[in-house]
Amino acid sequence: MIYSEFIMDYSKLKKFHGKIENAHRIEEGKNLSCGDEVTLYFLFDGDKISDVKFEGHGCAISQASTNAMIEQLIGKTKEEAFEILKNVENMMFGRDFDDQLLGPVTNFYDVKNYPMRVKCFLLPWKTLELALNGEGKKPLKE
Amino acid sequence: MHSTEWSDEAFCRIIQEFPVLNREVNGKRLVYLDNAASTLKSRTVISKMTDFYLNHYSNIHRAVHTLASEATTEYETAREKVARFINAQSEEVVFTSGTTMGINALVNSLVRSGMLREGDTVLISQVEHHANLVPWIRLSRFFGFKVEYIEADNTGTITTDSILTAKSRVNNPKVVSITGQSNVTGQVMPIEFIRETFKDAILIIDGAQLIPHKKIDVKALNSDFLVFSGHKMIAPTGIGALYGKRALLERLEPFLYGGEMIDKVTFEDVTFNVLPYKFEAGTQDIGGAVALGYTIDYLESLGFENIQRCIEELSKYLLEELSKLDFVEIYGPRDETHQSLVSFNLDGVHPHDVSQVLDEDFGIATRSGHHCAQPLMSVLAKGSRIDFPNSTVRASVYFYNTKEDIDILIEGLKYVKRWFG
Repeated sequence: MIYSEFIMDYSKLKKFHGKIENAHRIEEGKNLSCGDEVTLYFLFDGDKISDVKFEGHGCAISQASTNAMIEQLIGKTKEEAFEILKNVENMMFGRDFDDQLLGPVTNFYDVKNYPMRVKCFLLPWKTLELALNGEGKKPLKE
Repeated sequence: MHSTEWSDEAFCRIIQEFPVLNREVNGKRLVYLDNAASTLKSRTVISKMTDFYLNHYSNIHRAVHTLASEATTEYETAREKVARFINAQSEEVVFTSGTTMGINALVNSLVRSGMLREGDTVLISQVEHHANLVPWIRLSRFFGFKVEYIEADNTGTITTDSILTAKSRVNNPKVVSITGQSNVTGQVMPIEFIRETFKDAILIIDGAQLIPHKKIDVKALNSDFLVFSGHKMIAPTGIGALYGKRALLERLEPFLYGGEMIDKVTFEDVTFNVLPYKFEAGTQDIGGAVALGYTIDYLESLGFENIQRCIEELSKYLLEELSKLDFVEIYGPRDETHQSLVSFNLDGVHPHDVSQVLDEDFGIATRSGHHCAQPLMSVLAKGSRIDFPNSTVRASVYFYNTKEDIDILIEGLKYVKRWFG
């Protein structure tokens, strides 16, 4: 069953919903095959990710994934965020990964058995990747 | 219970034609309700196609040996079957890879032939599949024709009023290209009315959703072109057909150039082969075409009018049963023009989650997403009373489905609603 208690609970979290008015970086992600959209707002404190919020709609998997991702990102450096992202992808594609680094995000481990839903899970993470790589619409203000 | 069109014995034979229906999915009997995306494949068609490939196959038309002769005969017989199926002549039927290929070829050919020029207007509807939308939008940029729309109301329905409004707004469209049936709202389009309203336009019918369950008579409809795919009517993927009136096909410049489509080639110039070969450049999907012919044999052996009535009965039941669920929002018309598929949403549950639970806990195959009709989603959003997720769940039936399948779907939806609260 893909819908674990963790995923159901995290899909309903509201605390990371919304906009950050003076965000340093805004990144939009789209899942072309289903029309799901997410917009991530990042606030940085030097090299640290001090706050993240999101707007958008999507399925339980993508919503839960976004909430868990944000929870895991806040307080991390960009370098650490890259490392988490790399391990998330390793987890999804059946490679070795550091479960200490991923924390609660390991609750999505079974999603890899649902190839059609991997893209739902990865939507916020792919959007994060764009944001970290600086390919987004709004240039990163340091 | 199966449709009343089939006796128990006939239905038993139908079920045996589709071995996958006996398969278990997640511990449950498979309930296949994704027919609008693609239908199941039949034992008869696949085994006849296999026999063709294994015992009679070669390339067609050119060589003089026995296999070439057998393969060519099978291929051309398939063309005759398609022609008879839609009431056309053989030379008016061109094999394609499917509906998308057919429309792309037509748009390009119409432009190359000067039958669609800068400043001309093409009228399509707001409910078109991307296959009958994207080619027009993109090529209008290159060739300067305009694309106008017959507007759908906020249930996604095309009404006679909206057709007349389009007529008063658009002065003499050169081309009217319209789906025979929406793959999202299930509406069977008033093609006769559209033909009557736009007498002088070149009429193209996208038959992808309609032809699997409703007889299309191109002569009676006075349609100039018809395109469709085989895989939505149990034929293999990769094969479809394009019908065009002979006089139009003769004027039309080919879309693809290459071998077999030529008459005489010099280093300076080319003349084309006769119809329909001038539109069939390169080695064709010979096995696919032959299988499409076998498919028509099989559908006709069941009685195509029986298939049509079976779908009408199942569609009515599906729509009625879904309407009883107060947490379900249904899109499309609420009358007998709504056929073979229903798109809907559960208030507060994303379509992907609905489809996932239906599959995991009930073995039901449905489709979730925007169904290759993104602009239509924004129309449906306007009429929606829920937080519209920009996509829908779609359940679609074919003649091997039963009322019991629909009952299981309804039971599944109640469970999904309870699960996600």
